[in-house]
Amino acid sequence: MTTRNPTDWKSDVMRRRIARRYGAERRFRLLGLAAVLVSAGFLAFLLISMVGNGIRGFTRTEILVPIDFSTAPMVVDPATLKGANADQALANAGLPNVTNLAAIAAFGPKGDELLSPNAWLTVRDAIKADPSILGKKETLALPSSTAIDLAAKSKGSPEAEAAYAKLAQANAVSTGFNASFLTASDATDPTQVGIWGAFKGSLLTMLVTLALSFPVGVATALYLEEYAPKTWWTDIIEVSINNLAAVPSIIFGLLGLSIFLNLLDFPRSAALVGGMTLALMTMPVIVIAGRNAIKAVPPSIRDAALGVGASPVQVVFHHVLPLALPGILTGTIIGMARALGETAPLLMIGMRAFIATPPGGVTDPATVLPVQIFLWSDEVSKGFVEKTSAAIIVLLAFLLAMNGLAIYLRNKFEKRW
Amino acid sequence: MLTPEQEALKPNNPKMTARDVNVFYGQKQAIKQVSIDVDMDNVTAFIGPSGCGKSTFLRTMNRMNDTVASARVEGEITLDGDNIYSPSMDVVQLRARVGMVFQKPNPFPKSIYENIAYGPRIHGLASAKADMDVIVEKSLRRAGLWDEVKDRLHDSGTALSGGQQQRLCIGRAIAVEPEVILMDEPCSALDPIATAKIEELIHELRGRYAIVIVTHNMQQAARVSQRTAFFHLGTLVEYGVTSDIFTNPRQERTKDYITGRYG
Repeated sequence: MTTRNPTDWKSDVMRRRIARRYGAERRFRLLGLAAVLVSAGFLAFLLISMVGNGIRGFTRTEILVPIDFSTAPMVVDPATLKGANADQALANAGLPNVTNLAAIAAFGPKGDELLSPNAWLTVRDAIKADPSILGKKETLALPSSTAIDLAAKSKGSPEAEAAYAKLAQANAVSTGFNASFLTASDATDPTQVGIWGAFKGSLLTMLVTLALSFPVGVATALYLEEYAPKTWWTDIIEVSINNLAAVPSIIFGLLGLSIFLNLLDFPRSAALVGGMTLALMTMPVIVIAGRNAIKAVPPSIRDAALGVGASPVQVVFHHVLPLALPGILTGTIIGMARALGETAPLLMIGMRAFIATPPGGVTDPATVLPVQIFLWSDEVSKGFVEKTSAAIIVLLAFLLAMNGLAIYLRNKFEKRW
Repeated sequence: MLTPEQEALKPNNPKMTARDVNVFYGQKQAIKQVSIDVDMDNVTAFIGPSGCGKSTFLRTMNRMNDTVASARVEGEITLDGDNIYSPSMDVVQLRARVGMVFQKPNPFPKSIYENIAYGPRIHGLASAKADMDVIVEKSLRRAGLWDEVKDRLHDSGTALSGGQQQRLCIGRAIAVEPEVILMDEPCSALDPIATAKIEELIHELRGRYAIVIVTHNMQQAARVSQRTAFFHLGTLVEYGVTSDIFTNPRQERTKDYITGRYG
């Protein structure tokens, strides 16, 4: 056996080793920083390009049209304007025609084509708000046609550009907030489309998904962790659930199609079926996150509760579940966020139909935000480009609101313990 | 006034008895043919080297071993003459009657008040808030913790020091008015001062509850107990009056352990 020489901690070899170690640490820190900066850059690029494009989806070009109601070929009894049939009365009295004639009078023979086909609705609302204008001459800001709107955003055809230039010279254009984008539903004309129908569809679908996947997922996780005997049966169930979480979402769409629509004959295109299909997809995520959260509850707490004579159900509901809830909620956020952004499975169950009225309930035909975005992005008309971006902004806002709520709830439960 | 020796020799008044108990973990036998009487009026200490089965045996006495899927118990353990492993025995009620204090202090992550009140609440021992307040105060007083925490009953139990947490756990066990308290190395995670307080507390609780304490520390067994059982390799080697076990062991193995030959 050889004797070991005393280590020389100040030798050159040692010094080099130390320098290498410091170098490695510095490189690792720089790499991490670079990774964070790159992802922050991508995020900033996404946000800037989305907001830059989308913000124009929330505005519309308006044309100032002078309308002389005193000479207009239209007779309206002011008394009917107070009633519930005011809309119908004004439409029957020929308000669309009056609006078009006013535009022709102001801007020449093709003046009515400068306005959106729905421009008279704005006139109608103005009359309802203030019936006294019926005897006077008023200048109203009416939504322009899609061609003019595009020209205003410098993407229009040469003719529209020329028409817009003329209007601009006459100081007859303005830009207004497009409130109807938030209140209307899908339409064929990009100036008339709105996001409300898809938004409500998403809301209903998410409610169905949450109502089904959360209780089922949490109950499954609790049963598997706390009660199920460890046999090969439960092993198979465990492996299946883990695999289910990795199955491509379109497969769930096919499953929903064949079971909910073909076998059970549920209504097509409805938020109910969409929610059920997405619940199939979300449940495994909640089960996996739930099981991990339940596993992380220290066994000593279970012992303590059993030790004072708590029954197994009391142990679970008084101690394990409250302690695991923040973790379960985190998993639920991830699952629901994925479900909210899902398009493919919903295409399979018919939620890609053109739906011009917002759904009244979970069984009405509906569409959801991501599918609406997909449909609009497919449109040839140029006006849909900015509407697509605007819809993406709405979707992201929905997602942030949903996550914010879940994080708030999570922190609230964490504080209680 | 009786001397400790005389006191230790008072006639036995068995609260719990075990007859020919075997415990298996799967194929492995952890406890072999153990028969023992646990006294109402005396503190019983289980001593023995690590892995000798003393904690396992303790956990069979309130069926905490039921939570271990592979564990199997043979033989008979009785509480006031009723077999606790008979099908007619309700496990939940058994654990209320035979309370347990664990090796590591494990208060619930709730307020001090809630820690004490939880047991009485689930067993319906107090309906009015005022009754519960009385139970909480009495339990904390008996656990020797009241003066230290009476002004912060609604602070978290986990914010207390280790020794205070362990006394809170004893108070929690006392709150359901058990007949037996099992303590599984209650001082092994505590410093000497906290340990002294727990030992003092055990002295005070003696007589009101039958107390069984598992300990690694032979001095502790000598200090707190009147009966000592020495376990080795899953068997009960010797059981008797504590002073006899420490001064005059009858078995060679007990003597070797007491004198520090192994452990």
